[in-house]
Amino acid sequence: MTNFHPDLDLITEYTAGSLPLTQSACVSLHISHCRRCQGIAGQLSDLGASLFEALEPAPVGDAQLNAVLARLDEEVPLSYARTSKDTSNTPAILQRLMRGDFSDLSWKNIGSTLRISYLQAGDPQHELAIYHFNAGGRIPEHTHRGSEMTLILQGGFSDAHGSYHKGDFLVRRQGDVHAPTALQSEDCICLVVLDAPLKFIDWKFRWMNPFLKLRTV
Amino acid sequence: MLTVTDKFDDETDSQVEPSGKRTDEWSECLTLIGKNEDRAAFTRLFRHFAPLMKAFALSGSTLSANNADELVQEVMLKVWQKAGAFNAEKAAASTWIYTIARNSRTDLFRRLQKFDTPLSADDVSGSQESEEAFMVLHQKRGRDRIRALINELPNDQAQILAKVYMEGKSHSEVAGELDIPLGTVKSRVRLALQKLQIRFED
Repeated sequence: MTNFHPDLDLITEYTAGSLPLTQSACVSLHISHCRRCQGIAGQLSDLGASLFEALEPAPVGDAQLNAVLARLDEEVPLSYARTSKDTSNTPAILQRLMRGDFSDLSWKNIGSTLRISYLQAGDPQHELAIYHFNAGGRIPEHTHRGSEMTLILQGGFSDAHGSYHKGDFLVRRQGDVHAPTALQSEDCICLVVLDAPLKFIDWKFRWMNPFLKLRTV
Repeated sequence: MLTVTDKFDDETDSQVEPSGKRTDEWSECLTLIGKNEDRAAFTRLFRHFAPLMKAFALSGSTLSANNADELVQEVMLKVWQKAGAFNAEKAAASTWIYTIARNSRTDLFRRLQKFDTPLSADDVSGSQESEEAFMVLHQKRGRDRIRALINELPNDQAQILAKVYMEGKSHSEVAGELDIPLGTVKSRVRLALQKLQIRFED
């Protein structure tokens, strides 16, 4: 059971289908872990369905019906290539983006404790990445120029505001400052969605700030 | 643990047989399609839902009539292809169908905006496994309650819900369109959800 959840506004946009793709991915991974949020999302989908059923119907002619009937025997295309590797420990969404498991990703080292792998999700406004920090490792103090969504996939970390574990969902907003430290017991892996680059406060890392750009590919 | 259902344990629901099966017409149609590839059942379903899907496609959106017709065809084909996975004991037919329509429309919006992504809305909506799991939590009574209470919402709240759910607009898009603060949009949504007695805690 997780303790940190997306707020109601996010779950509403998520169930209405208006949340950006990468943020939806992050929220859906949390929901797959969390009964509380499954309950809320289920009720909100029912709400959507009730509004849908109450719409004023728009006429659809028999030509449309016949066109669909003529296509019922079409083969269903396999929508994506499966990897031959056994990736059953990796959530399905990430499998789509990774074509393998965490060890197949290409990583960029940031200092000695953190490495980042950027995923190509095709969301033009957001960067989606996997952060891996070593057990006990500390990320230099930084602030946010926009919003940051984090979902913990493995392990956990703590900062001045609390301590977070697998399945927990966190949002940091513009101006929030923190310096997360991975739990001592194991490495921590997170899925992170950014809509603007971070900004380091720690003087040893400040030189990097002008080079931090959003990788949205 | 599942207090949402526990609350209703002592109440009976006339629409659900002792086996837990739903008896409504659309569940039956989906089941017939899934089991027997029943074209007559599909035709009944089409005549009821395709006009709703078209209305949904055209709701406040920029979709052309052609796009809307394509969307209706695509959604109805998916209904046919996926019907075998429909489980009447776990999901309401209308919610199941709405979810397919919603995801297909989101994908169509992204395609029209030339998004190049390996992910579909199905991938990120959890509609396959987890949604079925949570539908079993709250059964038909919750849906009937929501349906009954929707008509009692004040206009400003009903309008916002329609924009959020039927037009698929984000809270900030709704705020921009109605020229009201984002906070006002959020609080109207929250007030509406309270009036619909949607439960936030387990």
